[in-house]
Amino acid sequence: MSAPARPTSIRDALYEAPGPRTRRLMVAGTVVTGILVIIGIGLVIRQFYVTGQLAPRYWTFLAQPTTWRYLLQGFRGTVSVALTAGVLSLLLGLVLMLGRTSGIRPLSALCRVVTDFFRGVPSLLLIYFFFLAVPQYGIRLSSFWMITLPVTLAASGVLAEVLRAGVNAVPRGQVEAALSLGMRRGRIMFKIVLPQAVRFVIPSLISQLVVVVKDTTVAYVVSYPDLMQNARVLITNYDALVSMYFTVAIVYILLNYAINKLSGFVAERMGVKIIR
Amino acid sequence: MTSDRTGDVPVIELRHVDKHFGDLHVLRDINLAVARGEVLVVIGPSGSGKSTLCRTINRLETIDSGEVLIEGKPLPLEGRELAAMRAELGMVFQSFNLFAHKTILENVTLGPVDVLGMDKAEARARAMELLERVGVAEQADKVPAQLSGGQQQRVAIARSLAMHPKAMLFDEPTSALDPEMINEVLDVMVELARGGMTMVVVTHEMSFARRVADRVVFMADGQIVEEGAPDAFFDHPRTQRARDFLDSIRGH
Repeated sequence: MSAPARPTSIRDALYEAPGPRTRRLMVAGTVVTGILVIIGIGLVIRQFYVTGQLAPRYWTFLAQPTTWRYLLQGFRGTVSVALTAGVLSLLLGLVLMLGRTSGIRPLSALCRVVTDFFRGVPSLLLIYFFFLAVPQYGIRLSSFWMITLPVTLAASGVLAEVLRAGVNAVPRGQVEAALSLGMRRGRIMFKIVLPQAVRFVIPSLISQLVVVVKDTTVAYVVSYPDLMQNARVLITNYDALVSMYFTVAIVYILLNYAINKLSGFVAERMGVKIIR
Repeated sequence: MTSDRTGDVPVIELRHVDKHFGDLHVLRDINLAVARGEVLVVIGPSGSGKSTLCRTINRLETIDSGEVLIEGKPLPLEGRELAAMRAELGMVFQSFNLFAHKTILENVTLGPVDVLGMDKAEARARAMELLERVGVAEQADKVPAQLSGGQQQRVAIARSLAMHPKAMLFDEPTSALDPEMINEVLDVMVELARGGMTMVVVTHEMSFARRVADRVVFMADGQIVEEGAPDAFFDHPRTQRARDFLDSIRGH
């Protein structure tokens, strides 16, 4: 392990290069941790074996194409809810942020209350609201919207704050330069401030998309056929709880891993241009 | 070069301008007129209010009382009218403030296209001419972060010139630059002055002031303490305050 020539990551920038003693400690730590992890995995597999979870009847259904077709259907449901909620919450978050930073007192106060409300209320509670309370007022929503709307609202509060942090990170001089050219506030926001603000917060925006994906898993409450709900149906059919959840967990991990990779890609494509 | 004051209305005029930052009285009864084609250099110790003075001229700083007049008309207080007036005054900042997410060329075309409604192709052609003039045409497709400070500041000047301003305001344009880059920026400013641009320059570059200024204004504690022709001011300052200041910067 050689010390990097110059800071290439946050870690390198924050910590000094390790000396010989620290490096020996790190090697020892790595070995010990590695052994502990292997023991841990061994214990889990053993426990699976002992309790009979490794029996073929719990896993063979995974070889059936119908299983995967059904899971794929659920996956599509998850993706369409997550995408819709992602886009809508971004728009709503933008509106809330613009309202809050508008400088118009009552509007600003209103947007602040709304933002804090959606940020503070658990999304499950919002889902129950749309599932149980809203229909009582005669508003009929499809199960798709019963899950998408609350997830959207919950995310929009956070996104409004993320965007606001980005806007605040844009140096004041950028606005002054635009003002001195004769641009008006609204145009400055959309042409100068927001494009830079979004680039600052792309990593946070994408992590919020991961949260949205995870929030969609409570779709079973409203019986919307997402990945989780379909997995539950399969579990009842095949009586294979552990193996099914295990499989679905891996799908979720892969999906969110892909989103995070996308974040790195987008940040690199867009962000590199404004390093100061 | 002599200033041309043939009974013209001043391009920029400040009348009894006062401003406070909380308890701090940053501008005290400032009266100042800048004639067409005149180069006015404002100097003074830090905290004397010279930057604030410069920024009140296009209302990046508001004033508490008094009047700012542009070509005899009061500076509008807000809205479309203020924006239109700002578009006619170029401003160059200490920290360049180029739009970080736009290319050099886009920085220069944004104002003409977005504010003046100029045709894109025409704006591009004019921008390239201006970039040529300030010597950074080869950098047109880069982004600001890829340029040196001196190059960025020259682009900032081109960006202001693209608006065909009636006057240019320079707020310590060389203070954030490495020493070897100061002259490349000053050279552009000298050329502008020779071309007859009306300029208000807040600076610490005394040799520039002596060489280019038609008039030097010395500020201290928010007041104009002394003003006059550069040679007279630098060689025979009338006030003790100005003498002390000049001594302190000539210390070596």
